[in-house]
Amino acid sequence: MSGSASSEDSALLFLNRTEARAVAAFTSELIPSEEGSPGAVEAGVTTYIDRALAGFMRDLQPVYRRGLEALADLAAERFGCSFGEATSAQKRHLIAELDDLGRNEPANFLGQFFRIVREHTIQGFFGDPAYGGNRDTVGWKLVGFPGAQWGYTSEQMQRGVDSRTFPILTVKDLYARIGEAK
Amino acid sequence: MIEKFDAIVVGMGSSGGIVAEQLTKSGARVLGLEKGPEYSQEDFEVKADELRYYQRGAIVAGVAVDPVTWRPDEKTQARVLPWSAGALGTDEPLYGLPSIGTGGGTLHWGAAAYRFREADFRMKSAIAERFGHGALPEGSTLADWPISYADLEPYYEKVEHQQGYSGRAGNVDGEFPEGTNPFDVWRRSDYPMPPVTQGPGDLPWVEATKRLGYHPFRQPLAINSQEYKGRPACVNCGFCHGFPCHVKAKSTTQVTSIPAAKATGNLDLRANSRVLRVNRSADGRRVTGVTYVDSADQIHEVEAEIVVLAAYALENVRLMLVSGINKNGQVGQHFQTHNFGWFGSILPEATNPFIGTFNASSAIDDFTSELVPDNDLGVLWGSPIISVTGDLQPIEAYHNMNPSVQKWGLELKHWLRDNYRHMHRMYSQTTNFPYARHYVDLDPSVKDRWGQPAIRITHEWEDHDANSVSLMGRYKEKIAREMGATEFWMDSPRPPYHLSTHDVGVHRMGLDPATSVTDPFGHVHECDGLYAVGGGGFVSYGGYNPNETIQALAYMSAGHLIENLGSTAGRSQAHVA
Repeated sequence: MSGSASSEDSALLFLNRTEARAVAAFTSELIPSEEGSPGAVEAGVTTYIDRALAGFMRDLQPVYRRGLEALADLAAERFGCSFGEATSAQKRHLIAELDDLGRNEPANFLGQFFRIVREHTIQGFFGDPAYGGNRDTVGWKLVGFPGAQWGYTSEQMQRGVDSRTFPILTVKDLYARIGEAK
Repeated sequence: MIEKFDAIVVGMGSSGGIVAEQLTKSGARVLGLEKGPEYSQEDFEVKADELRYYQRGAIVAGVAVDPVTWRPDEKTQARVLPWSAGALGTDEPLYGLPSIGTGGGTLHWGAAAYRFREADFRMKSAIAERFGHGALPEGSTLADWPISYADLEPYYEKVEHQQGYSGRAGNVDGEFPEGTNPFDVWRRSDYPMPPVTQGPGDLPWVEATKRLGYHPFRQPLAINSQEYKGRPACVNCGFCHGFPCHVKAKSTTQVTSIPAAKATGNLDLRANSRVLRVNRSADGRRVTGVTYVDSADQIHEVEAEIVVLAAYALENVRLMLVSGINKNGQVGQHFQTHNFGWFGSILPEATNPFIGTFNASSAIDDFTSELVPDNDLGVLWGSPIISVTGDLQPIEAYHNMNPSVQKWGLELKHWLRDNYRHMHRMYSQTTNFPYARHYVDLDPSVKDRWGQPAIRITHEWEDHDANSVSLMGRYKEKIAREMGATEFWMDSPRPPYHLSTHDVGVHRMGLDPATSVTDPFGHVHECDGLYAVGGGGFVSYGGYNPNETIQALAYMSAGHLIENLGSTAGRSQAHVA
């Protein structure tokens, strides 16, 4: 996975291209892509994070700048290349280290940065597509969440119902339906 | 010229909406001040958005606007809520301040609607009778309530019928219908509606608890199961707890009392209007009105002989303290909150945990309050165990996942893929005794954007809290095993949060003005005409959700106010242009 999809096919609102590539490479390790099963990259998690940093999360702009620099420095020191250019094993090794820091050393900046990016990766993967991530509702398809439903019938609430048969809806779909009703 | 009203109600939420409705219907001219927005139903038309409401807290003020600080003890520097502020703060509405705007906390609530038990009102005496006078933990300031269940019962009745509650009562005037809660407190009539549609994930829980000899019952909820008073039945959308309701099926004063109050023509509702202080006569003995700031930062002074603080327990305290009202040192004491004791399981069958409301489920009262069995952990007062089957969106599921699973990589992805649709949760809010060392006061350094001091919480989970979670955890584990759970896990008995939207006790009611803040009607002892209503008045706190009791107390206070206003209502009209 090149990890560059999101920086090439959509406008960037805060991150520069190098940063966007780093975010894509990093979040791709948090929710990896598999054959037939999209991950963070296909979901557009980088776009979600970029838009959020330009808006709702603008207070975190300096945290991302500093975090991505620290990540680049660490990768250069350990592997002599950028994080994105490292091997899969190298990337996973580094992420395991950051996860450990995040859990055991609450004051460590890189550990904090790991937890922040992970939180936003989850948001970008499972949030409504209106926010720029969860493209084609791939996150919801993965887990079997039917999305932004107006409601469920009592038949749908029966035991043993396969919820993967429910058509997935988004906030946009609900607005379209309201528009039609009026 | 200064505007004058018969009464000013501060906060148009759960209590404030009810008080405003009752007063305006009696003919009083009421000014309703609400620091949040005035919502219309169109605002909530499409609310099925987990990021907007659950993760970004769209209907709560948030600690950036309403800072709250916390410290575990007096030796430690307080910080703005470390579990919800900062880069990782997620604003999950369980661990912050309640929603604001018209409807207040009844916008976001999960609508679990319990009456307290008879024994809950005399917790101190009941514990002494069973376990001896020395049984309470050191430093506890537990007391009995100045009112009994029987005093409040007519108002519980009123809440259920006026605000629209659904369920099936277990004890209607001594009748115990089959399949209901045999431990239910007595009442004069059943809920006006049957329970809402049950979530599929509740069935294995009900079967398991029955096999274990427990007595599951459908939870009473403030959600319509059928059309009621012009509002439709719940459509089971599964975006309920933490979300506003898009069809008006959830009972919130935004759709019950506030429209009724407006319809009288006697309510002057001013949204985005934040009260800065309570004003009093020169000798401090009488309330004269309030000062508030509007959304354009204009400061206004308004007058009334009655001022009702209904702005949430913590905010009521903050307003009294910034106004210099605390002669006996009791304002802000006896802080109590809920520890949820979350317990997660993965069930063999699909639970479809996104379907229907949070509480479209059952509970057991076998170990609640005075029914707690003798135990080796020294737990003196028990809790209901509640099955949660709906309302779980994927990001919240991630926050609630099995902590032993690696939370990145294919492990994370595959765990959520395989288990999300099989998740089941239980919780049991545990009894939180009051102590002199648990209180709220004004933070000496943190201020809000209007330059007012933040409220500061001093609270730490005590052994009794942790042991209560552990004791209830044993029963939950038994139930999980009986359901055939393939994985299960439990929250720490001493969780990181110390705020639960269930924060109570800080302006305690009592008959003795030396040891309490208000009388049972919420009248503040030291200031004539000033009332503080809401959960702040609670004297003790068992495991039931607080809101039905908050609303019952609001009806009781309103009745008392109307009696006292009788001679003065309408008098203010002469002063208003």
